[in-house]
Amino acid sequence: MAGPNEARRVVVTGMGVVAPTGIGVDEFWANTREGTCAIGPITGFPLQDLYITIAAEVKNFDPQKYNLSKLLLLADRYSQFAGVAAAEAMSMAGIEGKVANGERAAAVIGSGIGGLNTLEKGYEDIFVLEKKATHPLTLLRTIASSAVAHVSIDYGLKGPAFGTVSACSTASHAIGLTYQMIRAGMVDFGVAGASEACLTYGSMRSWQALRVLSPDGLWPFAHRRNGTVLAEGAGLLVIEELEHARARGATPLAELMGFGMTSDAGDMVNPDIDGPTNAMKIALDDARLSPGDIDYINAHGTATTANDINETAAIRKVFGKDAEKVSISSTKSMHGHCLGAGGGVEAVAAVKAMQDDYVPATIGFDEPGKNCDLDYTPNEGRSRQLNYVMSNSFAFGGLNAVLVFGPPPA
Amino acid sequence: MDEVADKITAILKKNMKEPPETIALDTKLSDLEIESLDLAVIVFDIEDAFGIQIPYNANEDVQDFATVGSVVERVKALIDAKAA
Repeated sequence: MAGPNEARRVVVTGMGVVAPTGIGVDEFWANTREGTCAIGPITGFPLQDLYITIAAEVKNFDPQKYNLSKLLLLADRYSQFAGVAAAEAMSMAGIEGKVANGERAAAVIGSGIGGLNTLEKGYEDIFVLEKKATHPLTLLRTIASSAVAHVSIDYGLKGPAFGTVSACSTASHAIGLTYQMIRAGMVDFGVAGASEACLTYGSMRSWQALRVLSPDGLWPFAHRRNGTVLAEGAGLLVIEELEHARARGATPLAELMGFGMTSDAGDMVNPDIDGPTNAMKIALDDARLSPGDIDYINAHGTATTANDINETAAIRKVFGKDAEKVSISSTKSMHGHCLGAGGGVEAVAAVKAMQDDYVPATIGFDEPGKNCDLDYTPNEGRSRQLNYVMSNSFAFGGLNAVLVFGPPPA
Repeated sequence: MDEVADKITAILKKNMKEPPETIALDTKLSDLEIESLDLAVIVFDIEDAFGIQIPYNANEDVQDFATVGSVVERVKALIDAKAA
């Protein structure tokens, strides 16, 4: 590749996560390293007649424990997840309370669907229980921009603030767009990612009807894989311009080096190979890296028949002979498919993997699935020097977003 | 064809952009250009029409959904199981 990218450099200075495998980065990463599976029988609501009865839930989430603002305590679960993740990410970045120069700060926090728990309760109230009124906060809790609004309010982030919506690529698009705004000089830092809390009876019914859920587990790239498993959570990064971080004495955890986004423009559920291939290529070119530089890919790896074969083929197209030596894993095998939040949760996993020089496993792997013939780090994580890592998100509708991270600049 | 088969071929036709004049029992669903998302919709319509539940998973290669005839047989078995 040609010389270094002339654009402003962007570093990660904070991370926050709420995941079925842990609330907070330390617990999340410890469980990810150990290969802990958070998928199990749904406990959050009555199953009634569902025949898909498993998910990965964020258990024991008590919003009162997290010193959230009064507004957030009244908000939907998905906004509260974002609030908790933002508090952790901002604190890690050394930012407490309202920021000093809010006009130069962005907040981009998306969601695949927004406050679905609230919406479903509202519908039950009016259509089933025939109540005279819905809760007065139903609208404000439901809108998919409420999480980002809450975070913007809590930290005085007065620059660009909005959510992205691209199903399972939502968080990666949010992080990538914030990165581009920092590079362009529009802002100096931002909090970016996504949040999702859509484990409800109605949501499960709609996913069940789509016939893509596994009745018993999420086993990416494996022979026995038979569908994905829904999850919930939030994953947010604080990213900022390198000199801005240095000037305020923040510690860069990683450099965000490349971002690629494409659309298959093909089918709502059947992914193609070219869209993901081009997204990975664009991200690598953006980072001024060659495929052989990437040591670890946190794969999209949903354990659906189509995704895992297509993602494998796309990796082969991008990496050529280097595909044989890159470590790959899908941490969804542990934390489930966090949908819109997936790319955020997985970006945290990718950065932690790089910091620890440790490739987390793809757990539940029996033997390679048909046309799944790469190194998916089956069942056991392993130590390996990780200089550069990639995080893939490929969503329904063929909406692709890829992030590339490298070591913090010396 | 019998009533179950007639209903199922009507559902197939309803969900096709350009349905053929005739659909035989040995017609393969793949020859009708029915893909996974189409099948999810068709299975939903069949469940609704017959009051049954079909445990279909798009991630599995299910022989029950290879031909029109195999779908008819599966549905008949589920109707019988429900009546029993």
